[in-house]
Amino acid sequence: MNKARFATTSVIALMAGVAAHAQQSDVNFGFNGMPGMIDMPTAQSPAKDTLAGSLAYQEGYFRATFTYQLTDRATLAARYSVVDLYGNPTSTIIDGEFERSFDLHYRLLDESAYLPALAFGLRDVFTPGRFASEYVVATKSFGDNLTVTAGLGWGAMATRDGFDNPLSGLGARPVFDDADPEGQLGSDYWFRGDAAAFGGLTYQINDRWGVVAEYSTIAYPEQPFSPALETDTRYNLGVTYRPNDSVQLSFASLSGRNVGVSGTFSLNANNRPAQSGSESAPTPVKLRDVQAAQSWNRATEPGLRAATSQLLQMEGQTLTGLEMTDTTARVRYVNGRYRSQAQAMGRVARLLTQVMPDSIDTFILEPEARGIGLSAVTIARSDIERLENRPGAAESLRAGVAFGDAWPADSLADARPARDAFQWGFGPYLTINPFGGDGNIAVSAGLSLRGVYQITPQLIASGAIVQSVLKADRRDPGSDSTPDIQNVRTDSQFYGDDGLPVLQALTLSHYGRPGTDLYSRVSLGYLESMFGGVSTEVLWKPVDSAFGLGVELNYVAQRDTDMLLGFDEYDYDVLTGHLSAYYDFGNGYHTQLDVGRYLAGDWGATLSLDREYSNGIRVGAYVTQTDISYDDFGDGSYNKGVRISIPQDFFIGDTSRGTYGTQVRTRSGDGGARLSVDGRLYDVVRDAHEADLTDTWGRFWR
Amino acid sequence: MGAVLAMNVIRQSALALAALGLMSCGPLAQGGIGTQLVTAASTLAGRTPVAPPPPQVATDEQIAANPGQFVRVNFRDLGRWDTLVVAGTNGARVTWIGSANLSVTMENGIVVATRGLPRDLMGADTVQTWAAIRAGGGTAERRHDFLDNLDQISPRVLQCSIASMGPDPFERREQTYNTTRFEEKCVSEQLQFTNIYWVNRQGQIIRSLQAVSPDAGYLQIDVF
Repeated sequence: MNKARFATTSVIALMAGVAAHAQQSDVNFGFNGMPGMIDMPTAQSPAKDTLAGSLAYQEGYFRATFTYQLTDRATLAARYSVVDLYGNPTSTIIDGEFERSFDLHYRLLDESAYLPALAFGLRDVFTPGRFASEYVVATKSFGDNLTVTAGLGWGAMATRDGFDNPLSGLGARPVFDDADPEGQLGSDYWFRGDAAAFGGLTYQINDRWGVVAEYSTIAYPEQPFSPALETDTRYNLGVTYRPNDSVQLSFASLSGRNVGVSGTFSLNANNRPAQSGSESAPTPVKLRDVQAAQSWNRATEPGLRAATSQLLQMEGQTLTGLEMTDTTARVRYVNGRYRSQAQAMGRVARLLTQVMPDSIDTFILEPEARGIGLSAVTIARSDIERLENRPGAAESLRAGVAFGDAWPADSLADARPARDAFQWGFGPYLTINPFGGDGNIAVSAGLSLRGVYQITPQLIASGAIVQSVLKADRRDPGSDSTPDIQNVRTDSQFYGDDGLPVLQALTLSHYGRPGTDLYSRVSLGYLESMFGGVSTEVLWKPVDSAFGLGVELNYVAQRDTDMLLGFDEYDYDVLTGHLSAYYDFGNGYHTQLDVGRYLAGDWGATLSLDREYSNGIRVGAYVTQTDISYDDFGDGSYNKGVRISIPQDFFIGDTSRGTYGTQVRTRSGDGGARLSVDGRLYDVVRDAHEADLTDTWGRFWR
Repeated sequence: MGAVLAMNVIRQSALALAALGLMSCGPLAQGGIGTQLVTAASTLAGRTPVAPPPPQVATDEQIAANPGQFVRVNFRDLGRWDTLVVAGTNGARVTWIGSANLSVTMENGIVVATRGLPRDLMGADTVQTWAAIRAGGGTAERRHDFLDNLDQISPRVLQCSIASMGPDPFERREQTYNTTRFEEKCVSEQLQFTNIYWVNRQGQIIRSLQAVSPDAGYLQIDVF
């Protein structure tokens, strides 16, 4: 009978916040991976902070798009397309040409009771813009299931039924001159030339199935370097299927000639599938006796150290050093489990209450990585005792904590556990390099054997041998599109392409603390797949500062394409390095400016801006400009791109130091290319510094 | 066709990876891409790793012979029972932990924190609720802290009314307990729930149904 009573009350209602979630699945994604019907846009936008990945395929045209809702109104997209183009003359076809494009969509007006939502957008904004088009579009919904869209398109969206440009001040749309530099903002073209009117509707039959019909004004005319796609009618019809909120599958009849399929997978950075995580409960705090002692018996220190080490190991934390006075315990440890250093710190602090003598009232916690102390966080033991499980505990504790530089290691008693200095791993790998010079995506998958030998905590030898299982049969380098600069990146497709085992890396690296707030790194050997040599770096980064400054100097030579030990094939060496400034603006915005000399000997600068969510998701963009001339640079006059990484615990809740990540960039050209060395200092130290600790401080008590 | 080629290459590599995912070994390969993908795939397929049934840490006789040493908790949304023992005491707050490494912290039998659930109650202040139960009914303000999807603490202040529903004896292990049933209705802008407490003549909560969070559901707690 009590069971029945339980059942009647087993609902905890969420009264608000549900509506915001539901909206996300309402937006229809088109084949471009942007809000749209099939090929044509709508005026809708996904919820802020939505990330979507979309794949669309039809004969002769494959698209992979990454879409990000930056603000409530602005949607950004980066896309790779593999498309057949008409040659010059158009009787020839260029098979499988690789194109990169960037889109912007901006919702100007929200839908209201009587007025539609209104948006404008730009597709493929950089020259030469094979798909370049602009639009203004309005969408109105009727009831919950029907939307009607009408709009005006320019450029590729006005290649059918075009009429004189209603924006009378703007003249004819120029034709792209192949002699002009590529990769420039195509603002001379925007909203110029003929316009055309398009429209369509979507109807959601039930939660899962919907239909869509559009009148398309994209005709794919037979012109040199235009997509070689044929159309019979101007109508596209489609069916959409949503197995859940995050997936949309579409099947469409395109222009009466083709069938297309697309799949869009979306997530919202604010909507973590793993919720607050699924890690085991922490060990609770142990209180001291009321009459606290003034000191403790030093003879027990070795035992205390062993006990602390054992306890921390249960939480995936490795004790490396311990220093105890009458009233303080300074604990240095390596976080081997938790993405959030604050969470690791919270676990360590609670474990210390279990073992530390009563007279110790201050914990100084020092996270360590690569043998060096990263910071010192001083916490009053009484705060840990007082605040456990209290409302506002994280905030109150944070207010009493002191952040500082890690103290010198000299006075620490070594507590490193005896374990094999040599460790190894064997497993699969997958790399996708979308920038093979011949226009195809270079995919490599295979096995890698890695080994790490820790000579001292700060001096580490490591190496990786890789065997690809997908033998790439690369065409010989034909004409070098950039004969005047060294092929520091464009030859990457020829590296390790003969199907034999290769030496991915073999390095000796040393990390150090030359002074307060200073960090150093020296790496020697085969640093990356294409270069070997010596890389040195010094970083100045106070623990409590949002600003960091680094200098890196490398002398490297280009490796042979067989990726063994030689450097003879290219006979190229270069002195390269950068001065780097890092700044954390707060609210999740981070920027980095690198100024210096790149691998091809070109001088210039790279500016990066990242939006980082406290749960670890990062979305960023960067641009590089160097003194290499447009002519020398080849296609794409400066390096620009986007990158995204999503931590493992976002999806599966089980915590990890690992990150799923993918980085896409418009091109890995020879200009603006940097050495790809492992373990740059800023990335090593930042997550134990105040700003990053504060971002995830809510996990301290988790 | 370049596109078809690209698709083929992607499909081949996916198949290769799927095969290779089963082959990772060595200490450094733990958490490598293969393991991660296999784990992620099984999770995304809805096959969350099924935990083994909790080992019987205490028999009914042991529980009966050791009053105050055990609580039984039904994590209803996880579909599992567990027997919990004391892991720590901090003032009036006792943290109980079970074999599945889920912990529940209570003060006078009222849940003030959980750890290991999909949306933990990070901390709560429930003294007014306890006072209202002692007084036979009344109102109370609670503050509940949750950890949100961006790792920030999200506080909720709830207004609660506690009322006695009269005598409500129940039977547990062939023994009848004479208790008074209290219902506590709590409301905030974002959240509402109803807790039920069965209070014995000594004024102790010996059975309860208490809300944790919308994502973690209710706990049915038996105190012995």
